[in-house]
Amino acid sequence: MEEKIMAILNDICGADEGELEPDFDLFEEGILDSFGVISLFVEIEKQLGVKFEPTEVTRDEIKSPALIIEQVLRRA
Amino acid sequence: MTVLEKLREYANTDRVALINRDETLKYSELDRFSDIFALYLTERYPGDKTPVVIYGHKETLILPCIYGSLKAGRAYVPVDITVPEERVQQIIDDVSPKVFVDFYELNIETDAEVITQQKLKDFFAGNTELNVNVEDNCVKEDDLAYILFTSGSTGKPKGVPITCANIENLSRELMPWMETSEDGGVILNQISYSFDVSVVSLYMGVSRGMTLYTIDKDIQENMGELFNHLESSDCAIWVSTPSFAEICVPSARFNQSLLPKLEKFLFCGEILTHNLVDELFSRFPNTKVINTYGPTEATVLVTAVEVTKEMADDPLQIPIGYPLPEVTFRIVDVDGKSVPSGEQGELLIISDNVGPGYFKRPDLTEKAFFVDSETGKRGYHTGDICFERDGLYYYCGRMDNQIKIHGHRVEIEDIENNLAKCDNIVRAAVLPVYENEKITHLTAFVLLQKPDGLTSLKRAMKIKEELRETLPSYMIPRKILALDSFPLNTNGKVDKKELQKSL
Repeated sequence: MEEKIMAILNDICGADEGELEPDFDLFEEGILDSFGVISLFVEIEKQLGVKFEPTEVTRDEIKSPALIIEQVLRRA
Repeated sequence: MTVLEKLREYANTDRVALINRDETLKYSELDRFSDIFALYLTERYPGDKTPVVIYGHKETLILPCIYGSLKAGRAYVPVDITVPEERVQQIIDDVSPKVFVDFYELNIETDAEVITQQKLKDFFAGNTELNVNVEDNCVKEDDLAYILFTSGSTGKPKGVPITCANIENLSRELMPWMETSEDGGVILNQISYSFDVSVVSLYMGVSRGMTLYTIDKDIQENMGELFNHLESSDCAIWVSTPSFAEICVPSARFNQSLLPKLEKFLFCGEILTHNLVDELFSRFPNTKVINTYGPTEATVLVTAVEVTKEMADDPLQIPIGYPLPEVTFRIVDVDGKSVPSGEQGELLIISDNVGPGYFKRPDLTEKAFFVDSETGKRGYHTGDICFERDGLYYYCGRMDNQIKIHGHRVEIEDIENNLAKCDNIVRAAVLPVYENEKITHLTAFVLLQKPDGLTSLKRAMKIKEELRETLPSYMIPRKILALDSFPLNTNGKVDKKELQKSL
């Protein structure tokens, strides 16, 4: 599961495998924006069947790869 | 000017003109503050008509500056904070304003008097009796009302001025579409003032005495906060690009119970997809969906149509609508001859809504604008490929490299030219990535001068950082990929079709 999440994230961010550090702040570094987040939710739902209610997650809760994985696992 | 007359009329009521988070601005305050601003301009710069440049986002005090400029017979040039400093400088150099209202205190080189937010507050705090003669001084007929700067293919923004007469025409034709069951009511104020769809709220909303409910950039970035604001707006008219509604769709909260009073969605600025229409029809059974279309050069929009169930079920794209009553459309082939109904060609707009041409660019104006020999009215080559069927018009794409990304109009070359100016980049090609009829993001391919030893992400971050100095954030490609060589076509140009395959 974690690998799949990272693969989705790498694809959206244009990163090579293993390049995104777990605590990397994706918003601060300009890697992810609002539309990127939507793509992320859409892909996670499509590929992993995990649905997000976007109004229930703040940016701070999904700002790094580690946090995104945590949020997905919690809903899986 | 109608909107200024209406503003004065509603100033005698208790109505609220603007809600901006915890701030409100009544019509009486808006009228008075804009009088103060107008008086300042006319007394300090008598006889001058130079446009006033306003740099900010959705600050409450922008509104008095806009109407104050109009009252003083000046055009205003709204520049949103998404525009980086270097571009603001280019706009300032182009306009050479006498007055520059700067809400963010940038480091701009200018001879203009710079007015900060604090200075505005000081102006408006005064309590002296005013006697502003709006009727005599305000913008009229062919006077410019505003100039919007859009992406230019050279890599520098180009100005599109619109006259008072253009707006008066649009107001007359669009007002019937703005009717709601209650007098007043709330209209969304979400679109950046440097994008002309905001004119619908600023002119038609205010002319109807509506309350503009502000959704700023920070609110939009936090979905929870966004929905709380949407709910408390209780709006009757939703004006936005389809993209903004698409941001909301992933949430289950986006339905009629969130906005029980919502009577109309009015969309403009980009393709309205079947997906979105289907979602809105099922979630908002009591709300009409109105699609419109228009280039900035012809004053916001020149078509409108209420999307019906039949249109939603039709496999054809959602139509852009019928031309407004005083607008004439002609669809022509490459030789400029009208094509038969149902056939594709370039859409020409002939109407009094067509603006005077590009700001200080007679060369560009001559290429795109014309005077129609039959009617004597102004015409504009949209560069949009359309066809007509049963009086309805349908949009098929562009003749050039202009795209719409999340509702923003962008020339691909603008991005490519600015990418090529970045350190260590020889050549750049930018490609839009589509999903379900729409562009979701941009991908750039770059050719490096010499190897940089960086990983893909680190390189992309470095380039993006440089790009942020010259391009608005929405123009920055999501992905930036380095290639060892570019595929070339037989003309020696970058073969974008080949690149498209690698996406």
